[in-house]
Amino acid sequence: MKLIFVEFFKLKMKLRAWLGPILIFLLIIISFPLTVELSSEALNDVFYSILWIASLLTIMVSVESIFLEDYEDGYLEYFYVANNSLFSLIFTKILIYWILIGIPISCLGTFFSINMSDDISSLNIALPSLLISTYIFINLFALGNSLSLNKGSALGALITIPLLFPILILLGKIVLNANFGFEISNLLLLMLGVLLLIIVFIPFIISFIIKTHLE
Amino acid sequence: MYPYILYFSVLFYAFALVWGLGFAPADYVQGNSFRIIYLHVPASFLSQSLYIVMAIAAGIFLIWKVKLAAYMIKSIAPVGALVTFIALISGSIWGIPTWGTWWQWDARITSTLILFIMYLGLISLHSSFTNFEKADKFISVLVLIGFVNIPIIKKSVDWWSTLHQPASITLTNKPSIDPTMLYPLIFSMIGFSGIIVSLIILSSKVHIFKRESHKSWVKRNV
Repeated sequence: MKLIFVEFFKLKMKLRAWLGPILIFLLIIISFPLTVELSSEALNDVFYSILWIASLLTIMVSVESIFLEDYEDGYLEYFYVANNSLFSLIFTKILIYWILIGIPISCLGTFFSINMSDDISSLNIALPSLLISTYIFINLFALGNSLSLNKGSALGALITIPLLFPILILLGKIVLNANFGFEISNLLLLMLGVLLLIIVFIPFIISFIIKTHLE
Repeated sequence: MYPYILYFSVLFYAFALVWGLGFAPADYVQGNSFRIIYLHVPASFLSQSLYIVMAIAAGIFLIWKVKLAAYMIKSIAPVGALVTFIALISGSIWGIPTWGTWWQWDARITSTLILFIMYLGLISLHSSFTNFEKADKFISVLVLIGFVNIPIIKKSVDWWSTLHQPASITLTNKPSIDPTMLYPLIFSMIGFSGIIVSLIILSSKVHIFKRESHKSWVKRNV
């Protein structure tokens, strides 16, 4: 519990680390309508794709230094020596990132999608899929950035984005089914299942990687 | 050992090519352009199998800490990238006469491109570390996690309606390709795989010498 407060406080104090990504998300979303004609119908077909890609890019930018500062000031090493495990720290870190960045992004994205489709029912598609997918994205980008710890975030993004394609395909399928009026709850449940697997396994893998870094 | 595999498989592949290019009948619909199958199919087959081999090696390295398995991953990755590149290029050349386009954002083609990028990512991850012991562990973790993409690439032609045809040759069903074209194809697959395997042997040999360069047996042998 104390850990949650500490991590929450740490991220909240760094304004650029949590407010910045949310603003970036807004800017990306604003910039898409500018590139097509402002009142064009063309955007109505693709705004879900814009949402997915914008959330992916935002998470990519926000997670790039998730472990870097703690690694450089030795907190990770200290935590590992004190607790003999990194799982709780990594799990908490990812959770806090999701609460402070993922959830606001999902709400903004939902607002945008309602606005674009003039239909309150797109809430049912956008909100759950954004909430789940941002959590998955944060987990996987944290993994990529732990692999490329102190080697620059471009490498982390390069090795993570191919891993995200199954999730993007799933998101595309959700939109497709929703457009045809099919059930989407089965796909959402599938994504939730993936998320549960990821929540359990990714922190283990990341702690293995970070232990290797600390050796 | 490996020069003999190389010579033998080059001969074999040349034989298959002569058979396939010279003597197999032209396709009823595609004419002579189908003959690029003798490069495209072996390359696409290997581009996925090499990743599976890498994943097995990664498992062996992480579970039993066999050092050679990690060297194997490192030496397969560039060859895998090469083979995937060949598959992409030959497929795109084949696409011109049959589909009328170089490139289509189609499930199989896109997922093969993703596989290519994954190989490049593995290479760049390994080369960004100066401490090779760490790099070995990281690359095997990444190979294992990236393995989730392989079933998607494999099944992409069945799950989505795409331009790319489903597999003609499977282990369980009767092949939907005529024997006069099939036999040279099988021969070319064996020959091409032999060439690639000997390339991997060569590159892992170089890599082992590089990594073990401080050992006395290397100094005795080189």
